[in-house]
Amino acid sequence: MFRTACQEQLLPGETLQQKWEFAQSAGYDAIELRGKGGFHLRDRLPELRKALADGVVMPTVCVDMLHFIGAFDEDLRRDAVEQMKSQLSVIGELGGAGAQTPASYGMFSRRLPPFQPPRSEEEDRDVLLAGLTELGEHARREGVALFLEPLNRYEDHMVNRLDQAVELIRAVGLDSVRIGIDSYHMNIEESDPPAAILAAAPYIGHAQVSDSNRFQPGAGHLDWPAWLGALDGAGYTGHLALECRLTGDDAAEAVASVPAFLARAAA
Amino acid sequence: MSPSSAAARAAVRTEARSPEAGSPEIRASAPAGRTLGTAGRARLRREARRVLFGNWTGNSTVPSLGLYPHQWSWDSAFVAIGLRHLSPARAQRELETLLSAQWDDGRVPHIVFNPRVPLDAYFPGPDFWRTSTAGAGAGAPRTTETSGIVQPPVHALAAWLVHESDPAASRRRGFLARVAPRLAAWHRYLAAHRDLDGGGLASIVHPWESGMDNSPCWDGPLARVTPAPPDSFQRADLTHGAAADRPTDLDYGRYVRLSADYRDHGYRDADAPHSFAVEDPSFNALFAASGYALAGICRELGDEAGAREHSDHAAALTEALVRRLWSAEAGQFLCRDLRAAPESGRAGGRLMDVRSVAGLLPLIAPGLPGEITGALLRTVTGEHFGLGTEVRLVPSYDLEGPAFDPYRYWRGPAWFNVNWLLERGLRSCGETERADGLRADVLDAAVTSGFAEYLDPYSGAGRGTRDFSWTAALALDLLGRPDSGAAGEAEVQRGEFT
Repeated sequence: MFRTACQEQLLPGETLQQKWEFAQSAGYDAIELRGKGGFHLRDRLPELRKALADGVVMPTVCVDMLHFIGAFDEDLRRDAVEQMKSQLSVIGELGGAGAQTPASYGMFSRRLPPFQPPRSEEEDRDVLLAGLTELGEHARREGVALFLEPLNRYEDHMVNRLDQAVELIRAVGLDSVRIGIDSYHMNIEESDPPAAILAAAPYIGHAQVSDSNRFQPGAGHLDWPAWLGALDGAGYTGHLALECRLTGDDAAEAVASVPAFLARAAA
Repeated sequence: MSPSSAAARAAVRTEARSPEAGSPEIRASAPAGRTLGTAGRARLRREARRVLFGNWTGNSTVPSLGLYPHQWSWDSAFVAIGLRHLSPARAQRELETLLSAQWDDGRVPHIVFNPRVPLDAYFPGPDFWRTSTAGAGAGAPRTTETSGIVQPPVHALAAWLVHESDPAASRRRGFLARVAPRLAAWHRYLAAHRDLDGGGLASIVHPWESGMDNSPCWDGPLARVTPAPPDSFQRADLTHGAAADRPTDLDYGRYVRLSADYRDHGYRDADAPHSFAVEDPSFNALFAASGYALAGICRELGDEAGAREHSDHAAALTEALVRRLWSAEAGQFLCRDLRAAPESGRAGGRLMDVRSVAGLLPLIAPGLPGEITGALLRTVTGEHFGLGTEVRLVPSYDLEGPAFDPYRYWRGPAWFNVNWLLERGLRSCGETERADGLRADVLDAAVTSGFAEYLDPYSGAGRGTRDFSWTAALALDLLGRPDSGAAGEAEVQRGEFT
């Protein structure tokens, strides 16, 4: 039986405490935070500490910025690494498991004009290995992990599939760098998503869920029993974190439908 | 097998042979029946799923990665029955993929070849059967290579069970509407082209069509077949399996002869000599059970006339099974060899005095007369099959028969699909406790043998290949059932799942 988490922006309520109340009533076990740039998450620490004291469970944070550790621009890349370090420290202080980031998002796609990125594949790899190593060492000191999320080909040109993430993580050689898988991206990139999960099993540290159309699980055509069955077979014990858009007349209802749907699909 | 369990077996044997023991109500306490705990069930579930994930090819499941690299007809049906617990979508696809290779005459071939697998990976392969050319007149697919023979018709039963696992998704995808005409054509093929004696049963024309390829039942009828010369073919099965477990070369030569003769007559049943023609009780019992399932499918689709047609035919099959294949003396059903000299005043051919587990499987056919059910239950637990006394899983052949061999294919070993069917039969007869015991033993044997293809019925030691798909699938199915007396509960729950 998987535990579920919901990203904070999807939950109704003004405060984390109010959101937590809704999340619990809908059957969630945790809230996934979103980490904006400018050290915003660090600046929220008083709020987060209070929420923690009030019993809110916050095991993970997902980056919410427009530049990333694989940025072409060196200043932006440097800033992204510093932001992620800070987010790892915050989630460590909250007793959580880790922070998730893609290599990049919305920076370049080989499937869209101008098709040729300004940096070579070797340079991409060097940049990613450097960033992942620095963050992995920081995560290890904080007792947490960095989750590298493969994105689909239209959103990132460097890490699209689980096997690419595995290759990088093996090269980094740190247990504190794991894959953060996302069902939606896998649906586009993996020829057999359950087989990809099993092949990458020892490296999976976090899982985000949304359906084939980026809506909440149950609103698309993903083969959830197979996907979840493989994740169970992989020995995954973390949360299934809802990161999606919502469809339906009632957003709260859509969010509330997910834990029961996933439990049923994993039964 | 530990000495203590052997002592327990002996004790149970004494009890089972006491005067009351003939009564089907007597529960023979399963000798080594172990019930899995919660952790054991979770482990079994995870391991069974691992096998099914590993053997999935994208459109269907191979029985095992090395020995059987293509899609097999009745394997796929049993696999779908388990796959529905892992992924109803994959279970539907498994059956749809198989049925997409159906011939125009309605036959569902026993193998659908994967064109990406080398020709010599399995014998007889596509270059032997040559169905796209040799079978063109009988309506073989032009672009997909298959074999030309069939396997038992378990598919309608599987389709119905798959539908029941998630009716909402099944309706949304139009699953039953899509497979129903193909299943009906399949059943019509068997009824129209395979009732070789006109007695109301379908005949098999090759031992492999029974699914119990090397059963001693076929020794007699096969003896009349001239073997193909050993140098005319190259077996592939010995590369993966131990020779002592596999059929002999002489038998293999006869199998090849029968297949070649069928092929050389264009796979047309009216033209082929069919020097092997047998009415097999298991094949026909599955036909009947699938007939009722197909009637249920028609009803679900609002086709009342179709439902009546298939359920009437299923009832007629059950009646013909009793009329043509029941032996009161043996206390079980027997195979009828249509090419043997007939007994005077009886239907064509002759009943063979060979006790195969095939003769017990009519327990799954609804509507058997009570005295026959009672006799079958006595035979299952008696000295010939020893279920719950001599052995934990029912063997494929008479424990006391002259041809009994605990290792060799279908000549003694216990198979998981047979035991799954028997469990279902016992449950449908109200033998809940006995079915629960068998289920526990099947689950235990599946996991401890590493999902073996089959077992030594005495020791429970795994034989044949491991990570065998239907072993994993059927374990998953038995695992998904409630403990006793509430069959179908899981399906009802899944029905609300949208």
